Amino acid sequence: MKQLGLKWQQFRKKYNIYLVLIVLFLICSVINPNFLSITNLSNISRQLAVTTILAFGATILIIGGMLDLSAGSVLALSGVLSVSCYKSTESLLLSFLVGVAVGIFCNLINAVMVASFHTPPFIATLAMLTMARGAALLYTKGQNILQLGNYVVFGQGSIFGIPTPIIFLVLILIITWYTLRHTRFGRSMYAIGGNEETAIASGISVKKMKYIAYAINGAFVGLSGVLFMSRVNAGLPNGAVNYEFQALTAAIIGGTSFSGGIGTASGTLAGAFIVGFLDNIMNLAGVDSYVQQIVRGAIIALAVIYDIGIKNHWKPLSKVSKAAS
Amino acid sequence: MKKCLATILAGILVLALVAGCSSTPQSSSKEPAKESQASQASQAPASQAPAAQAKDTYRVAYIARAQADSFAAWLANAIRDEAAKYDNIKLDVFDGEANDEKENSLIENAITNKYDLIIVQPNNGEAQRPYVEKILQAGIFAITTNARIDNIPGSSSVDANPYEQAAVNARLALEQIPQNAKVVVLNGPSGNFHADARRESWQKEFFDKRPDVTIVGEQIANWNKDEAMKYMEDWVQSNDQIDAVISMNDNMAAGALEVVKDNPKFDNLLVYGVDGTAEALLLIKEGRMTATCMQSAYDLATLLLDTANKLLTGQEKEINVDIDNPLITKDNVDQYIEILKKAGAL
Repeated sequence: MKQLGLKWQQFRKKYNIYLVLIVLFLICSVINPNFLSITNLSNISRQLAVTTILAFGATILIIGGMLDLSAGSVLALSGVLSVSCYKSTESLLLSFLVGVAVGIFCNLINAVMVASFHTPPFIATLAMLTMARGAALLYTKGQNILQLGNYVVFGQGSIFGIPTPIIFLVLILIITWYTLRHTRFGRSMYAIGGNEETAIASGISVKKMKYIAYAINGAFVGLSGVLFMSRVNAGLPNGAVNYEFQALTAAIIGGTSFSGGIGTASGTLAGAFIVGFLDNIMNLAGVDSYVQQIVRGAIIALAVIYDIGIKNHWKPLSKVSKAAS
Repeated sequence: MKKCLATILAGILVLALVAGCSSTPQSSSKEPAKESQASQASQAPASQAPAAQAKDTYRVAYIARAQADSFAAWLANAIRDEAAKYDNIKLDVFDGEANDEKENSLIENAITNKYDLIIVQPNNGEAQRPYVEKILQAGIFAITTNARIDNIPGSSSVDANPYEQAAVNARLALEQIPQNAKVVVLNGPSGNFHADARRESWQKEFFDKRPDVTIVGEQIANWNKDEAMKYMEDWVQSNDQIDAVISMNDNMAAGALEVVKDNPKFDNLLVYGVDGTAEALLLIKEGRMTATCMQSAYDLATLLLDTANKLLTGQEKEINVDIDNPLITKDNVDQYIEILKKAGAL
């Protein structure tokens, strides 16, 4: 009975997110005729690709009861190292791999801190945030790397008319969805995030799973670094500041619960597009910068209130505080 | 194997932490001393001007606003290089991390450490003002730069004039931007001295004189190329016609150009920036960007060290100077590209 309730609750949550997305889409189309143009929709997807890929990494981690605040900084470090590798070797493949490898390396350090030394993920990845940013600035002496030549194909190119960032976005969506739904690793993430003690008792190798989770997140962050630098056609050591928060925002609006154990890839995608549509329509309509910030904040607040509201609806109040803690 | 890897990674981490800590022990260990120094200083008469003392080497502290912003980083590097040319000056650079609190405590620490001269690149002029006054009260020379803090008696300053930097562009735009043009504007962070002064200059020197021009989009892109790209992509969607991009710095101008680079509709787009970054110079050379104003970190660094030297050796007591604000267009871009090439920035 409980399980049935839980399933229904998850279903309702998922359903509501898509409803919000569709309603928003319709409103946007009515407000501004340019919104529906193919170029605009492809723009939105390209603009969202980097933060959404980060959001998929964040989703996996949050489901497993972890967190990565270092994403933006590690993205910058992976990106500048990848760019500089391209500048010296002119090899697209090698520079791509360098970007991904740096992302994985930094996140394995995160994993060591979190899984082996039991540091709270918030603190551990906060430490990585400063270290990675420092390393990126040190390596470039704070200066932008210019004239990237063919490197721009990752972020600006297209295959069969589809922009490459969108292809990467779809690819990562499928990988995340498959990993969470159909692998032992995915199921153990839900178990660990739901209740770590129980997960250990049921024989899940929690430490190993946490290492894998950070490694996957690292690969996503590294890929984002390559896409980001390629899109802006420069190696920006000070780029992507606070991108981790945009990623977290997408995940949370998409129904991923900070208390762990709940979340889906498609929900995160919807969350990212809700934010993306809002930003886009506000720019198309020429809404003031300051107002945009207020609206964005209000949306996050509403999403979290909604998240807690759903729990309230299904459990007596006395149990809510326990669930939240 | 996994344990071994974990140990190695952990080792690297510890090393990095130790290295990170060892660079700032002075600042933390002298915390109590700072307090007494500060209170003494505040009791001293405010008019007590720093006096030059003959020494073999003078210790100079440069408190940078932030080293994570590319112009500030360029300036810090240029000041380091310039200081190396002076045998009598030993320079230490500190990073304010774009944080008033952090920058102010770095200034206090530098006072405690009895530097002979402290150069402050404010994060926010008014927030650093009382701390620059403390420097002078402690009998230490103070120079404010990029941007200067005005009206502190006894302090010196070296700066560019942000109003003038934008104005040279705006005057050119008066002639170039067609009648009834539609333009978009990219702004720096709100409250930033240079961002505000440049925007005000465009208002007075251009928009007030050209009521026929319409602003079809205006956003804060925080000096960033990626944020500017996003806004430009959206503006291109919502407007049939954009004649000019008016950007408060070169990074954002380059971002706007990145969006329309393969779009023939925007071949005649006029794009104005400020800073004279390597990227902007190349874009001007290619004929894609219209104009920028050079804010040369090299010129600032040269003047700063010259000013420091004159103050320390007693040649002068107070100096306030500005660097030039040269307008760069396709006609004269080559000479500036040469300068950057010589300095190794290109």
